[in-house]
Amino acid sequence: MIEAVERLVKLLERENVEWEVFYQFGRSGSFRIERETLERSQRKFYSGIGLRVGLKGRLGFSYITGLHPSEEELKKLVERAVKLAKISEVPFRGFPASGRVNRVKGIYDGEIDEIPFEEAHKLALEYAELMREKKGKETLSGSLSLAVGTSGVVNSNGIELEERSTYMGVSAYAVLSEPPGTGSYRQSFTSLQPVEELERAVEKAIDEARLSARARKLEPYSGELVLESNALASIMEVFLSNLYGDEVYHGRSRFSKPGDEVGSFTLVDDSTLPELPGSYSFDGEGSPGQRTVLVGDGIVRNFLLDHTYASFLGMESTGNALRTFRSVPYIGTSNLILEPGEESLEDYEGVIVRKVFGEHTANPVSGDFSLTVELGYVVENGELKPFKDNMLVGNVFELLRTLKPGKEIERISSFLSPRAIVEGRLV
Amino acid sequence: MEWLIKKAEELARKHGLDYYEIRLVKVTSRRLVMSNGQLRELSSNSELGIGARAFNGTWGFSSANDRERFEKAIETAMKIAKLSRGNARIYLGEPVRDEVELKVKKPFTEVDIEEKLSLVKEIDGLLRGEKIVSRTVNYGDSIVETFYFNSLGSEIRTVVPRIRLGFSVTAKENGEMQDFWKSFGGTLGWELVEGIDLHYWTAHVKEKALELLRASSPPSGEMDVIADPELTGVFIHEALGHAVEADSVKNGDSILAGRLGEKIAVDGLNVVDDPTLPGKFGSYPYDDEGIKARRVEIIKDGVLVSYLNDRETAEYFGLEPNGHARAESYSHQPLVRMGNTYVEPGDWSFEEILEAVKNGLYMLGDKGGEVDTANGTFTFGAKLGYIVENGEIKEPVRDVALSGKILDVLKNIMAIGNDTRVEFPGYCGKGQWVPVDDGGPHILTRALVGGLR
Repeated sequence: MIEAVERLVKLLERENVEWEVFYQFGRSGSFRIERETLERSQRKFYSGIGLRVGLKGRLGFSYITGLHPSEEELKKLVERAVKLAKISEVPFRGFPASGRVNRVKGIYDGEIDEIPFEEAHKLALEYAELMREKKGKETLSGSLSLAVGTSGVVNSNGIELEERSTYMGVSAYAVLSEPPGTGSYRQSFTSLQPVEELERAVEKAIDEARLSARARKLEPYSGELVLESNALASIMEVFLSNLYGDEVYHGRSRFSKPGDEVGSFTLVDDSTLPELPGSYSFDGEGSPGQRTVLVGDGIVRNFLLDHTYASFLGMESTGNALRTFRSVPYIGTSNLILEPGEESLEDYEGVIVRKVFGEHTANPVSGDFSLTVELGYVVENGELKPFKDNMLVGNVFELLRTLKPGKEIERISSFLSPRAIVEGRLV
Repeated sequence: MEWLIKKAEELARKHGLDYYEIRLVKVTSRRLVMSNGQLRELSSNSELGIGARAFNGTWGFSSANDRERFEKAIETAMKIAKLSRGNARIYLGEPVRDEVELKVKKPFTEVDIEEKLSLVKEIDGLLRGEKIVSRTVNYGDSIVETFYFNSLGSEIRTVVPRIRLGFSVTAKENGEMQDFWKSFGGTLGWELVEGIDLHYWTAHVKEKALELLRASSPPSGEMDVIADPELTGVFIHEALGHAVEADSVKNGDSILAGRLGEKIAVDGLNVVDDPTLPGKFGSYPYDDEGIKARRVEIIKDGVLVSYLNDRETAEYFGLEPNGHARAESYSHQPLVRMGNTYVEPGDWSFEEILEAVKNGLYMLGDKGGEVDTANGTFTFGAKLGYIVENGEIKEPVRDVALSGKILDVLKNIMAIGNDTRVEFPGYCGKGQWVPVDDGGPHILTRALVGGLR
């Protein structure tokens, strides 16, 4: 436990309240490449302490930034949180009790933690150089980020946990102007990647931009089509809010309890997978990370829950309380996995949608969506005809009923899924 | 403050740097969220942080929120700049010394948190109703105090208050569910809240959610669409605003690159971005590079006349700097962003526009949007709509997204109404979130409608 938190805990132990301290500190280095030139480099430091106080069934929250508060600042933090608990009326359902936490492997890499900024900067210059080498008529840009962070939870029920993790993010973006075409690629990791990963990013973005520049609008189409994992991620985003415990509790979900049938697929949230950017050993309240089957063989089995909403719904926390020191816990996903099916769709012939955008304009409660197709293609006799600018329209609940996942899994940061066949409509 | 200015000067000398700029920002904010009569969040916090940038043909940036690291952040930014040496140039200009506080009538800091809580409860009560299965009320206010200084000798102090109130309901009937919501916001004080007819607006939100339950999905395909002032706002923000942000243009990421002076829209279309509009949500006195905010005409009578720019893109394109570099917070680098973007009024009355439509849709409300500036395609969502036949408004249709091509849709505008309103506060994401406002009059255009019929 860091020194400031120890002092804070001492102050809290004098008060007749239940309490929880969540703290974070870390740094990141990130680099922005524009037109194949490294244009912006930055190194950020952050730290802070968030305090939740439970008093007579009510909850107060406050935070401070930095890890070097004076005694006076710590006292004020406690006073503020206690005062808010007195007037707030935010219901307090207790804090999690100390439980068994299994450490997730491979989420910390000493190489990222210890890399000197100059080395990281050199890697970014190398990335820009790679872009210049591989460039055709495209304009290339991208980013590279390296970060290390520590977070900890201590509460009056005996929880005392701390975890350090590292992150590497890579993105590439290619633009062709005449005719216009764009391609992009992004991926994130928990360990330092070799330069081949940067090469892959540039190549994928270029390939996609070239495909996109050839793309025309497709005639309206209705029927079986394949969604690649990128497009599936957008569709799942529309569906997913129906599985958030707070949305369920407040009546803003299609579901009120597990048991409803939604199709024949399996969707899992799993924070315990090694080496994945969405993984953690414990969540923002200190509940152990776990594998949660959200939809199993087409049936809703569980919701994404933190301690509070689990308690409201008479269920158990699934360890999905995410947060920063500035915020109270909120429900979110860790790694989301659409389990693979039997059939390989790698050489599928027909209409394939790769990327769509505009999912935040969709209506998660009715399920209706109309998303712009950024890139798709039709495969006929092995030949590939790209299309874009159509809209993929439908209702997410109806579409998911027809979903049949393929075999081979692709990972986009913390979303893992194969391609999948659906009945869909393009206008 | 003086010691920080001196320290920065010393460090710049030591590292041989010509230009740096530093933002010291204090934010105090309060937030209340209530769902179904249950308070979900009540917070009141303040924090102080620093963002430092140094230029050496490329930018070095560092930020920190622990006071013990402030000096280190300045030095880190300078060291990075020194390490990075690039070929870019920036507009420097004359030093500016100024202090500006956006004045309000009734500071929300003088209103007790208890009163804010009773406001939220009152609205929650008013949102109750038959078939209303969920209600949410959001209130937030903040004061952002910035002290900006740079190596030119600029020293600018600004105080920007911002307030926002929003509420939403979910209606349910026969297994169907629909949402409707309304938001108010501005660089204003508590007078914003006092000026809202809460009975009218809560009834409106409930009525529209229930109307959506009875609505069917609109047809799909390319068709005539009348956008209301709120939808015109998001339309122009997505269809034009992002593509004229000069960083996108410079990076080859905008379909409007190289088109300054070109006719890209219909006669009579005038589009403006004006962060100096009093009280609007996207208003600010100085941008985050210490450049005074100013009104920018983007399209004048159909001709693209300016991009929105920052110090770097102004120099790059040889344009007058126009104060559109904005950062989400002290820990973010400024990017070229919009403030309050709107379409100026034309001369059509709403009735005349309606009469002009034989077969089409009247779409209302902003559900956000997204744009691919390089491909020139954008999507924007409407909250609800109505079928229009022979100039008459018919049955309601459900919320749906529309899509268009920037270069086509600006030329497809057939009518520009005379009823401009700029009062639709929101947040715009571009890797960072900043408060913006937008609006316009009713307009008639053609777009691809993604209906289910």
